[in-house]
Amino acid sequence: MSDSTLVSVENLHFSRAGRPIFSGVDLEIPKGRITAIMGPSGTGKTTLLKLIAGQLMPDSGSVHVGEDNVHRLSRQALFRMRRRMGMLFQSGALFSDLSVFENVAFPIRVHTDLPEHMIRDLVLIKLQAVGLRGARDLMPAELSGGMTRRVALARAIALDPDLIMYDEPFVGQDPISMGVLVTLIRRLNSAFNMTAIVVSHDIKETLSIADHVYVIADGRVMASGSPASLREAQDPRVSQFIQGKPDGPVPFHYPSKNFYEDILAPSEVS
Amino acid sequence: MSPLIFLGRKTLNTLESLGRSAIFLAQALCHLPRLEGARLWLRQMYFVGVMSLPIIAVSGLFIGMVIALQGYLVLSGFGADEALGQMVALSLLRELAPVVTALLFAGRAGSALTAEIGLMKATEQLSSMEMIGVDPLRRVISPRLWAGFLSMPILTVFFSVIGIMGGYLVGVDWLGVDQGSFWGNMQGSVVFMDDVVNGMLKSVVFGVVVTWIAVFQGYDLVPTSEGISRATTRTVVFGSLAVLGLDFILTALMFGEF
Repeated sequence: MSDSTLVSVENLHFSRAGRPIFSGVDLEIPKGRITAIMGPSGTGKTTLLKLIAGQLMPDSGSVHVGEDNVHRLSRQALFRMRRRMGMLFQSGALFSDLSVFENVAFPIRVHTDLPEHMIRDLVLIKLQAVGLRGARDLMPAELSGGMTRRVALARAIALDPDLIMYDEPFVGQDPISMGVLVTLIRRLNSAFNMTAIVVSHDIKETLSIADHVYVIADGRVMASGSPASLREAQDPRVSQFIQGKPDGPVPFHYPSKNFYEDILAPSEVS
Repeated sequence: MSPLIFLGRKTLNTLESLGRSAIFLAQALCHLPRLEGARLWLRQMYFVGVMSLPIIAVSGLFIGMVIALQGYLVLSGFGADEALGQMVALSLLRELAPVVTALLFAGRAGSALTAEIGLMKATEQLSSMEMIGVDPLRRVISPRLWAGFLSMPILTVFFSVIGIMGGYLVGVDWLGVDQGSFWGNMQGSVVFMDDVVNGMLKSVVFGVVVTWIAVFQGYDLVPTSEGISRATTRTVVFGSLAVLGLDFILTALMFGEF
């Protein structure tokens, strides 16, 4: 792994309930850049993030974060490594019994011995960065979907991690919230030089901020390159995905027997 | 699927689940205590223990009153109504207090623990805690386990004391049994090591088993609404059956004369 690479995934195989999800994925996440991992729904993008974070165990292959081989670390070492990571969950995953302020303060409280006034300052700085300093006393149940994700982002960057992983950050967001999130991800990367992995299938937004893109389908990396090169890709599967065509090499229909035969078949309902 | 394959698969699944729950318990409990852990434990003692007190107190009172009433009807037929205090105390200390407290605990606190942890899992709060670098087994599971382990014996003491008070109310105040006989017989027949300590030992065992089942069911469930519903039901059913089965084994070991 070169010095400019923060995460390296080699020949990763993973299956769930006997169904293969990844069959030999190789990819490298460069330091200080935004790398997008894209692909149709159900291709295992979120699973890949969980494998990088060590929350799932691969069947074979390896994941290195810095010098650490993630799946060979002891439980304690794994939790130490995760302190250098932040993850924005699709649902936000805020602690429902803590206020916005306490959610953002949580990682600082458990990992540092800072005095209360410094914790307060740090939390307010992070909340200011996501534009929610005024919402510090609200409970998670009182937040909108977009606000929840911004608070979760403030919490994910509370300890200034080296790597931040965004799991479908734009799903279910109104255009304003989406624009705010796109700006925030870009700004966090340029201001703090954070390495970012964005898992998404929102093509326009993701391509607008990514430095490098991997497209995953059928358990493998189907294509990779800069956003510009992917827009001009000749591979029909890549162009179908990037241009959002409903049918093509990636079929619209779930595999099934012939429709005509299926309709004329004797009823399965007795 | 042939019955043999079905049976084999069921057995393997059960053994695997037992193994997972044993590893889960060891990982949650085997670490050095910290000040932060004590604060979280106290918070859980409130939710698991203190919040269970009303149902335990009311149940203890009514059960004590019913034993006194039934006991009086039987004992007075033999002219032995002065032994009422002894009957109420022994029934409560040896059997009813530990068993009924554990059953009520499984229904009230156990189901709440399963649902709470299950919902935390379904909303990815446990995953996000892991990603923050905090082990949920230490932060979420361990304080709840210790709170359950310690609450059960304390709740059992409350149940026994309030039950005896209920027996006194009915036996002495209502039915007219002599107060001196009621307390005197109780004092003369209850042996601290045999009756009180054995009853408390039962409640310690029940506390460990019921809380372990509740917390593991919450942590191990399928994170869907149906999964939470099934796990909560399993907590109450498995917890109650485990209490009743273990009660027989413990009673045989403690009081059986083989």
